[in-house]
Amino acid sequence: MEFEAVIGLEIHIELKTKSKMFSSAPVTYGLEPNTQIELYDLGFPGVMPSVNKQAVISAIRVCHALNMKIDDTLMFDRKNYFYSDLSKGYQITQQFRPIGREGHLTIKTFEGEKDIGIERLHLEEDACKQLHYSDYTLIDYNRSGIPLIEIVSKPEIRSGEEAAKYVEKIRSIVTFLDVSNGKMEEGSLRCDTNVSVREKGSSDFGIKVEIKNVNGLTNIQRAIDYEIRRQTEILQKGEIVKEETRRYDENKKITVLMRAKNDPVDYKYFTDANIAPIKLSKEFIQEAISTSPELAEVKKIRYLSMGLNEYDSDLLISDVDLSKYFDEAVRSGANPKLLANWINVNVRASLKRLNISINEFPITPIHLAELIKIIEKGKISNVQARDLFMKMLEKKISPNKILEESDSTQISDMSTIQKLILETISENEKSVIDYKNGNERVVGFIVGQVLKKSAGKANPALTSKLVLEELKRR
Amino acid sequence: MEKASKEVLQLTASKLMFDMTDEEYDRLVKEFEVLIKQMNIIGEIKGVDDAEPMTFPFDVTNSCLREDVCSTSIKKEEALKNAKDVKEGQIRLPRVLK
Repeated sequence: MEFEAVIGLEIHIELKTKSKMFSSAPVTYGLEPNTQIELYDLGFPGVMPSVNKQAVISAIRVCHALNMKIDDTLMFDRKNYFYSDLSKGYQITQQFRPIGREGHLTIKTFEGEKDIGIERLHLEEDACKQLHYSDYTLIDYNRSGIPLIEIVSKPEIRSGEEAAKYVEKIRSIVTFLDVSNGKMEEGSLRCDTNVSVREKGSSDFGIKVEIKNVNGLTNIQRAIDYEIRRQTEILQKGEIVKEETRRYDENKKITVLMRAKNDPVDYKYFTDANIAPIKLSKEFIQEAISTSPELAEVKKIRYLSMGLNEYDSDLLISDVDLSKYFDEAVRSGANPKLLANWINVNVRASLKRLNISINEFPITPIHLAELIKIIEKGKISNVQARDLFMKMLEKKISPNKILEESDSTQISDMSTIQKLILETISENEKSVIDYKNGNERVVGFIVGQVLKKSAGKANPALTSKLVLEELKRR
Repeated sequence: MEKASKEVLQLTASKLMFDMTDEEYDRLVKEFEVLIKQMNIIGEIKGVDDAEPMTFPFDVTNSCLREDVCSTSIKKEEALKNAKDVKEGQIRLPRVLK
């Protein structure tokens, strides 16, 4: 019997707002516990929720990018449960009227393109952070109330690879729209996975196993593929898969049982009467969409139209910050093609070597643009350009400034350079014959040798000019 | 309508993770008897099933959204004032995970 997997993903994304979803407490990460809160976040009775406008705008932008129907009336519901991460005893979410419905996105897998349906997107608030120790638990309310969007896919994903591509695409969308930093390792993008296996072609669903909080794209793919194999083996033995929640053990590369799902929790959802329905005008929704930052796909089209090739464009849009860096350098007047090449080769290599992100890169986009302009004008050779780049990395100043500084030690005295040229040519007489026979590369070779002799101090442009004159004279 | 017997209330309380004394259950059973009687009176009105459930007394909407401007947080000391046990600026509870 042949089997197939049915996978659905629930992705929680923390929004990058200044204040919380329903209170004006600041949203700042990495600060001292319990210092980023309002009374509302502590669940004090009588404190009323007020809906954050920017969170709504962000949700609309993501809905639009996911081709969803956007509800023009905002309503919120209470999800009631009793747990120490929840101060009020309920979480405000959108159970009955999610802001977005019926969307889809296209992913590219090794087998080609595939459309994945999206069931819903809703706004809600995050719970507080708990730190579990061997005999006690600590509670920090800083995270309590941070705006979240939850995106629920339809059960149309069939493999670990498709799931990883889907999450990668969602992450690209939320980071390019600048609604979230999308960092899985910091918990800004968290993914719960539902996996079941059924007989291929069947329209019934198998018994669902939930894998909680898998971290990182590679682990999502591995956890799902492991779980598909595990469930398939159970079914092949004629046994029944148990409905349960599992977690992924990164070291052993297997999923392990967390708890059985015997009695599903009844959250007793009901509409939160503290938030009267909010009507979103057509203009408001349209404005949120039209002022939305560029998505990766749109950026790519723009890059291709600038003359970049497919490969360079894809590398640039693989990281929103890298593409922003590129855009800024282009705005500073750099030739896009030359710039893309420099970013994708030299800048990326330096980032890897220094183990830093583009935001921490010592060379500013403006300075890199200056370097590109210098190269384009033919003022320096490729070797010199790379040397200049390394100096920029080290000194964190503009390339023109570095050139000015080195100009003061540069030999621009014609007779000194001429002497070095004559010396070099007499040592390489064959070069003159080669040049006369049409080998233009000889010029570069002689210039290189002269620069070497001068310990890099001879003015390259002047040397080049004089070498050419000398060779022509012979 | 199902009778809100002591057993039903105990089961509900258990699902909500709390318990009450026998006297409290007895009082609640009596209160529910009155409530259910009233519900039954309403139930006799014809066409009630066709009415849409209401959450808000008036069918009105507003367009009020809060600008995303943050305020200053309350002080840590104030936030932790009611906590019985504090460790490293956080509220300490008995271990939650089993």
